[in-house]
Amino acid sequence: MLLMAAINLLFLGIDIYLAHSISGTIVPNEWIPIYFGPVGFVIVIIAGLISLKKKAPATIIIIIISILSIGVGLLGWVYHMMRGLALAGPVGEQVSIPLLVWAPPIVAPLTFSLVGVLAIAAVLPEDPVDSGILRLSTKCRIHFPFSKSRFYFFLAGLGILATLLSSVLDHARSGFENYWLLVPAIAGIFASVVAITFGVIRRPSRGDIATYFLSMMALCVVGAIGLFLHIDYDLTAGGEFVQERFIRGAPFLAPLLFADMGGLGLLALLKPDPAPNPEPNPSR
Amino acid sequence: MTTPNQPDVPSGVISTFRTLLIGLILVVVVLGLAVVTMTMGRAGTEPVEPVRVDALANSNDSCVTCHRNSSPGIVEQFSHSSMALADVGCRDCHEVASDYPGAVEHEGAYVLAGPTPAMCQKCHQQQVAEFNQSRHAAPAYAAIKGVSEFTPEQVAMYQAIPEGGYVENKPVNGLYTVEGPEITRFACHQCHDIGRPNPDGSIGSCRKCHLRHEFSIEQARKPETCNACHIGPDHPQYEIYIESPHGIAYMTGGDDWNWDVESGTQTVSDFPAPTCATCHMSGFGTSGTTHDLGDRLTWYLFGSVSERRPAWQDNMARMKGVCFECHNENFINEFYENADLCVEAVNERALYARELIAPLKENGLLTAAPFDQPVDFLDFDIWHHWGRTTKFGTWMQGPDYAQWHGIYEMLRDISEMEVIVEEEMHKAGLPYEPPSTDDTE
Repeated sequence: MLLMAAINLLFLGIDIYLAHSISGTIVPNEWIPIYFGPVGFVIVIIAGLISLKKKAPATIIIIIISILSIGVGLLGWVYHMMRGLALAGPVGEQVSIPLLVWAPPIVAPLTFSLVGVLAIAAVLPEDPVDSGILRLSTKCRIHFPFSKSRFYFFLAGLGILATLLSSVLDHARSGFENYWLLVPAIAGIFASVVAITFGVIRRPSRGDIATYFLSMMALCVVGAIGLFLHIDYDLTAGGEFVQERFIRGAPFLAPLLFADMGGLGLLALLKPDPAPNPEPNPSR
Repeated sequence: MTTPNQPDVPSGVISTFRTLLIGLILVVVVLGLAVVTMTMGRAGTEPVEPVRVDALANSNDSCVTCHRNSSPGIVEQFSHSSMALADVGCRDCHEVASDYPGAVEHEGAYVLAGPTPAMCQKCHQQQVAEFNQSRHAAPAYAAIKGVSEFTPEQVAMYQAIPEGGYVENKPVNGLYTVEGPEITRFACHQCHDIGRPNPDGSIGSCRKCHLRHEFSIEQARKPETCNACHIGPDHPQYEIYIESPHGIAYMTGGDDWNWDVESGTQTVSDFPAPTCATCHMSGFGTSGTTHDLGDRLTWYLFGSVSERRPAWQDNMARMKGVCFECHNENFINEFYENADLCVEAVNERALYARELIAPLKENGLLTAAPFDQPVDFLDFDIWHHWGRTTKFGTWMQGPDYAQWHGIYEMLRDISEMEVIVEEEMHKAGLPYEPPSTDDTE
């Protein structure tokens, strides 16, 4: 899961660079997530390597990066929301679907926050497994009302919902004239409901697991097909590559968020490893 | 929080508020799905159009409240702009430091009455850089006033333009001098100021095409915007366009075109036929968006005798990248070959006219002063009006301009010049042999 979070940080940095390049000018605030993504990726990977020898410092580093990631996401969300609202507009017109459709993607920055939460969850051991008790240190623990596995299901559900919202608002610009655009919407609604419901259920049946598994697989397929269709849309009618069309056209990395969330959902199905024993305190 | 010896007791803060936590998650989910449903329901029939909200309706910004009384028009325009919606304020473009070149004191602040490209490039760096490389920039102003008003840095910017045709000590245009400032400020400057040198070191005025204060992309993309300058006998591109098949398509179906489409992503679905911007500026086909208007042109058509532009083959490839969206390769190549032949044919006649008038110049029968004799105007009209119009009419497919407003007028004026030159030479008692048309080939 930590590797998943790290890879997401890297791709978020790249994706945001492309998205913010649309106007031809990247203003200072817009560089924050662009730098943070790859830098966060490198630090989390290094911290992951450090954790093979020393758990405690690596955990602290990852938690700091994760908190920063949550902050970057929330800050971006505020900036994007400000663009999506006409606060000084006439009463009744300050918030509207068209405003949200044509604003910068309002929920996209929250992906950073999601990744931050994922990294924190990934780095804190649950002891005992499936207890919902996360070990901060040898003395300090946090007790959650649900297990880490179920938390991942909730997280996947919320991530799918964010991806779904971005996709629907973006595709609304074309009015869903192409009925195939309904496919990611339907798959997203179904998978987000399934993932959250799966998190609520204490003892899922085989049917529940199969439904969940298939819906996550469907997301992976939707992401892959979306990637192909977005690239196809960005190519010229003659099939030629024009850089500008890839920057300003259909965001070719965006559909991969569906696959990303599907992958997260599938990873959440894996049986968690028992938490390693805490490092012996040398002062004892 | 719990202690390690109490693992199974859900007594932590988070556990205590689990109902709240789950409730909040469900609220987010329900709200999110509601937005999805509303968006899909609204967008079921047609694309969601960008909104035109009065983004400053309840603004208490001092610029807005004051100008709502003193000049409500500009507030009305700006309040419906995409810039106002994006939280760009009056100060972002107008306010500068007290020592900023061109700054004027205004209600306790220092402002630029007309923001320059230096202000625009704070957000539109790439677009301003492209513009600076175009003949819309320094060359446009130098065409009427030379470079005497340019700083050395601005001259360097001019020299850096590959297609700028920089000429050291370029003089003030003769006609500009004859007309005088009372006229030129309402004439030449209205168009050529698009490349004026600004006190802050920048060049030009974005506002010539992006009308203040709405800054609508639709307005900038429409041919009527180009019509502000590219009209009339010297370069009637707008009239030619309207006469062309492209213009007919625009006039008859343009209302339904997708004028707000994202730059760089335009396709034939958005613009089934091209506008001025489509061919010369837009990201279309394999060509990327540019604010360098010469980026796809092969000839200096405006010249008396047209020459190829530097790297014209690259320019041609970019223009053909647009053409290919609607026309096949044979059609395009054949058109280019024939249009090139037409340019060369007009060049021959322009050279002939140049040779025709040469004896008057060589024998001192023309004064040095510009535009003080009828033949000066005739000489000017031959290439500046009719030669250009023939070439523009050809390339932009306006047959009436290639023919009756172009080559026909050119031939008539050349014929008239032949008579005038012969008369003047005879009056002066000088021998005269008309130039052979073969000499110019």
